[in-house]
Formats: sequence, structure tokens, C-alpha cells
Amino acid sequence: MKNLKILSYSRITDDFVSLNGDLILCRSASDEPNDVAKHWFSEIYNKIGMEYPKFFKMDRLCKAGTLAAELVMRSLNLVNDSVKENWAVLCFNAAGSLDDDRTYQQTIQTKENFFPSPAVFVYTLANIVSGEIAIRHHLRGESSCFVLEDFSAPMISRAFEDALDTAEFVLGGWIEFDKGHCDVLLCAVGTGNEAELTDFSAENLISIYQKKY
Amino acid sequence: MNEIVVTGMGVISALGRGVEQTASMLLQEKSGVDKMRILKSKYTSLPVGEVHETTEELLDSLHYRRDKVITRTTLLGQAALLEATQMAKLQKGLLEGKRVAFISATTVGGMEKSEQLYHDFLYGTEHSEYIALHDCGACTNMIAEITEPDIHYSMVTTISTACSSAANAFLLAANLLRTGRADIVVAGGTECLSKFHLDGFNSLMILDDEVCKPFDKNRKGINLGEAAAYLVLESPQTAKERGVEPLCRYTGGGNRCDAFHQTASSPNGEGAYQSMIQALEEAGLQPSDIDYINAHGTGTANNDETEGLAVMRVFGDRVPPISSTKAFTGHSTSAAGALEAVISILALTRNFIPVSLNFKEKIDTLNFTPVTKTIRNAKLRHVMTNSFGFGGNDTSCIFSKL
Amino acid sequence: MDQLIEELKKEIIEVLNLEDKKPEDIDENAPLFGGETGLDSIDALELIVMMEKNYGIKLQNAAEGKEIFKSVRTMAEYIKEHRTK
Repeated sequence: MKNLKILSYSRITDDFVSLNGDLILCRSASDEPNDVAKHWFSEIYNKIGMEYPKFFKMDRLCKAGTLAAELVMRSLNLVNDSVKENWAVLCFNAAGSLDDDRTYQQTIQTKENFFPSPAVFVYTLANIVSGEIAIRHHLRGESSCFVLEDFSAPMISRAFEDALDTAEFVLGGWIEFDKGHCDVLLCAVGTGNEAELTDFSAENLISIYQKKY
Repeated sequence: MNEIVVTGMGVISALGRGVEQTASMLLQEKSGVDKMRILKSKYTSLPVGEVHETTEELLDSLHYRRDKVITRTTLLGQAALLEATQMAKLQKGLLEGKRVAFISATTVGGMEKSEQLYHDFLYGTEHSEYIALHDCGACTNMIAEITEPDIHYSMVTTISTACSSAANAFLLAANLLRTGRADIVVAGGTECLSKFHLDGFNSLMILDDEVCKPFDKNRKGINLGEAAAYLVLESPQTAKERGVEPLCRYTGGGNRCDAFHQTASSPNGEGAYQSMIQALEEAGLQPSDIDYINAHGTGTANNDETEGLAVMRVFGDRVPPISSTKAFTGHSTSAAGALEAVISILALTRNFIPVSLNFKEKIDTLNFTPVTKTIRNAKLRHVMTNSFGFGGNDTSCIFSKL
Repeated sequence: MDQLIEELKKEIIEVLNLEDKKPEDIDENAPLFGGETGLDSIDALELIVMMEKNYGIKLQNAAEGKEIFKSVRTMAEYIKEHRTK
């Protein structure tokens, strides 16, 4: 059995952003409560000083995933141009790409105003979020997106372990955006000997997920 | 690596229902792509690979009442699943103590019904029973019901990675079998046509208004299609215990990320190249062992050139016979990987190589042309099939003779 | 013409979600694609939709966009000549 460790993890919810358990940013309460994405994702982008114009073209699910991945990869000093052959990307959520599906439906909703948007259409696939993360960080391993009923640490940890049979590292986790609310737990997992790192297990994923931040 | 065999397959597509009909159409070089007849799209001039049976005909053939609450994606899936499970004798009494998993790929799911009934949903409660059938997982669960009570699945799951979805179902199936998490896996995919994705592909300006011309210099794009197909995979021991004669072996699969663009392939087809190499490595084969490639070959300018370049990187100047069967079936998106696995296995077991229809002129940057005349009596040992999806999700599978 | 160019800059920023750009950041004579704007094929398609929606111009083939979208100026010239609304 490999000694799998959580090398780094980030959380993005409606209320906060954290990295490895440290609070990065809290959302100001005055923001639109029904659609946190309106300002929240740009605020995080600016706060962490990200420079990636493509970010603004993404749908909200991809924005959430891309920000969380940026934090994790940055904490591992891996935001660079080198190709990472042995990194797999695995994403999980419950709503798939439903948020963008609704946006796209608006562009074909009425006969009078029928202009299907190509830029919106490309995001009507849940797995584009794993693609966007792979593009940003040049990750060439297996990539997949799983739609589950609910956050399921056992499912996520099993899929990660499977992927780690062939991949050296996995970047991924729970990336949900639906009805104006977001919930992300993203982590990088690989073999590690450092004692201070958390073991990768379903139990530990649950405890991270349930932490205050 | 533990050996995996294919003991059953089922298919429904624009070529018709069942493996016999599919093989017959391929051998006669008869395309199923035609004028739009069932889908109610305003783009009537776009040819599509529709399953010729209407939804009502599908309901009748599966012995449902006409008012059964079910989606077309599910009906197609059930038709194909029944054929596959019957061929593999997945019946009560032959499954004692065996864990059977079911993996079905789809992306469109119940969209076709949702878009028809959208206004009713919005402004009332009429037909709201279909909302529960919209999502991809609901389709899979309902497809699985058709084989009850013969099969009690130990695991049912859905894969949705755009146009490589069904091919990835086989990779997951192999993983479940090799890690001992299942004894038998039924894997594949299903997808019906919807206005939602037809409009989307049309907005990307990659649909051809004639029957598509994969690998032709003057190719103009895709014809969308619909299909469902499943394979039954298990170990040779399990097959023997159950007294089922295997059709062929599943020997390798590769999935790599192109990490280039949401919809476009990288200029040299890096992800495609890597997925083919990974599949070869897993199968323990050399490029020269592959006797036929069923290409992804969608007919778009971008795919066919970059896939071709990737094929050249893998096979050098000895590219094996290659064809895209998308001009027969249309591009059935999430089901394509399974449909083309069935076609590849038919080729492998019946010793023929299907043609790439409508090819005339070679692409300048490629050193090969696809097969344009059906090759009969072909000696095939190993065949490769490619399925590439948006998100840069690239998958290759290899099937081999017993 | 100048007014159309200004209008286009605003529309491009809006439809292509160039949140980090202001109209004055876009040089109407500079290449729209392949330059530092980082625009891709999907953006070109989105501009084709925008031309249809706002100016009633319908392109049949995405390849036509190549010449039209050379710069904001070439785009404005094309729109001026072909607009139906």
C-alpha cells in the first residue's frame, strides 16, 4: 500500500476561502446572497493576484475549480509552464454543469431572441472543469468528472486511489456550483514521507470538509 | 495484468438494431446518416445519424405502454443492454455469487424530453414527472431496471466526459475487474439527439450540411448521431464457469488529457498520441501489432488533422489500415466510444475492415489515406479504437483476438 | 466610424468577458486574435453571434471571420458596409 498524503488542499464556499486550513478571505456579508458568484470569484481572483485572462471567460463552475486549483498548485510552487505528465485530474459534484446549462438555455429560450452562445455551450459539460484545470497547469494524466448524489468521501478517495495506480499525483476533489452557491474542496494527493502531512483517507477528507475553514 | 474478455455486446444506432444488422450495413457500405426525421429541430437541412425507430416504436418494442414516463436516451440504452446481456447469458442461475457492475456513459441524458417540455415545466406542473428523469444518473438507473430481476447490479454508475465517455466506461470496467471489485461489468454508453446539443455544435460551426467526409481534405464537419451500445466484460475464468464463449479480449486502454483547449485539439495531437501509447503499453503491444484503427475521425478540420498527426507519431510511416465509421453512424457523442468498440470487435471477429465513406482527397499534412474499399478476409489480431472528447479528454482502447 | 469603433470595443469586452480590459486598452488597429488579447476560436464564434444579434449580419462560414476580425477597425468597416440593423 502506498503512503498517500494530502500534499495541499483548498476550500471555497459561499463564505470563505482557505488553504491548508488557513483562512485566506471571507466574503463580505453585503454581497448578493442569492448568487455569490457575482462578485465573489473576482474578489478571490484579485485577492490572490492571479493573472489568467481566460478566467473571466469561464462559467461559474470552472471559475470555482480554477481558483481552488490555483491555490493548491501555488502552495506547492507548481504554477509554472512545465508539463506535468503524471498528474491526473478528478472532479466530483452533484449538479454537473447545470448552472451553465441554464445560462445556455436562456440563449435558446425564445424564437425571437434565439442566439445560441458558443462560449456558453462549451461549458455545458461537467468535465470541462477538469479540462480547464488541466490546461492551466499543463496536467497530462487521466482526467475525469464524476457526478454523485452528494459529497461522498469514500467515493472520492476510492477514485483517487485507483487513479494513483498509474498517475503519480492527483489534483481534484469536490467542485460544486449550483443555484448561486458554491462548495469546493480541492486537494493534491501523492506519495509523501513528511510526517506533518495529513494521510489521504476518506475520514480525513470528511474532517477537512467539515472544518470551519 | 489479469486477462479480460468480452462475452457479449449490444448496439442500436443509425445503422439499425443489433450487431447483425450493424455488420450487414457496414459490409454493404450503407450509411445510416440521412435527412432529419425524428428530431424537431429548425435546422432541417443538417443530416443526422438518427435511430430510425421513433420513440413510440421503441416503447412498443420494449413492451411499454405509450404513456410510459421514460426518455429516449434510456430507451436506446435498454434496447442495447438487453442484446448485450442476452448474448453474454447474464441470467438468473448463471450469476450465483457474481458481482455485476453496470457503467453507462451519457452527457445529453434526458435533455431531449426536458427541452420539449421546458415551457410546461416553467409555467405549470404538467409533465413534471420528467424532471426526475433529466439527469444522466437517472437514465443509467432506469436502463438498469430492464434487466431486473435477472441481474442485481452490485454497482451502477454513470460516466460523462463528453465524446470519450463510453470509451472511459471500458477503462473503468477494466479497473473494477482487475482490482477485484466486480466479477462482471456491463459497460458502454447511450445518447439520443437533442436540439440542445445540435444547436450547440451548430453554434461552434462544426456541423456539415452534407454527409460527413472524415479524413478528406475538403471535410466540413460533423453529422451528429444517436446510439447506444454496451459490452459485457469479465475474466476468462468467470466466462468459463458460466459456460459462455468469449468473443475477444480487451487488452488495453489509455486516457490522457490534451491540456490545450476546451474544444480544440493541440496542433500535434499530444493527448491523442499519449492515449494511444498508453493503451499500447497497457496491452504490452508494439505499434506494428495493431492491424486496424477505428479512428475518432469526426470530420472536423481540427480533429482529423490532429488525430492523423498523432497517429503518424505513433505508427511512423507504417500506419495500419484506418477508417472512421462516423459517416455511417453520425457522431453519437457520449455513445460513440461504445458504438465504435462494437464495430471494431465486429471487424476483429469477422475479419473485415470497414471503410471511411466519402473520402476523396488526402489531407496535405498526413502521410496516409483511410480505407475506402471494404477489406474482406482481413487477418486482424489487434484493433485500436480512438475516442476524443471536449475538455481534451482523449481515450484509446485495444481489443484482441482470443 | 469612430463612434462605431468605440461601440464595438465596449461590446467586445462585454461578450468576450474581458473583465480585466477597458475600451481604451484596446487598440483598434492591433490584431484582435493571436496578439496579446489571448482570444481563441470560441471568441471568434462569439463575435459572429454578436454581429448577427446586434447588426443583423449572418456569416455562413466561420472562415470568413478571419478577414473581418483582423482588428476592431476592419470589423467596424465590415459592419458599416453590411449591417441590416
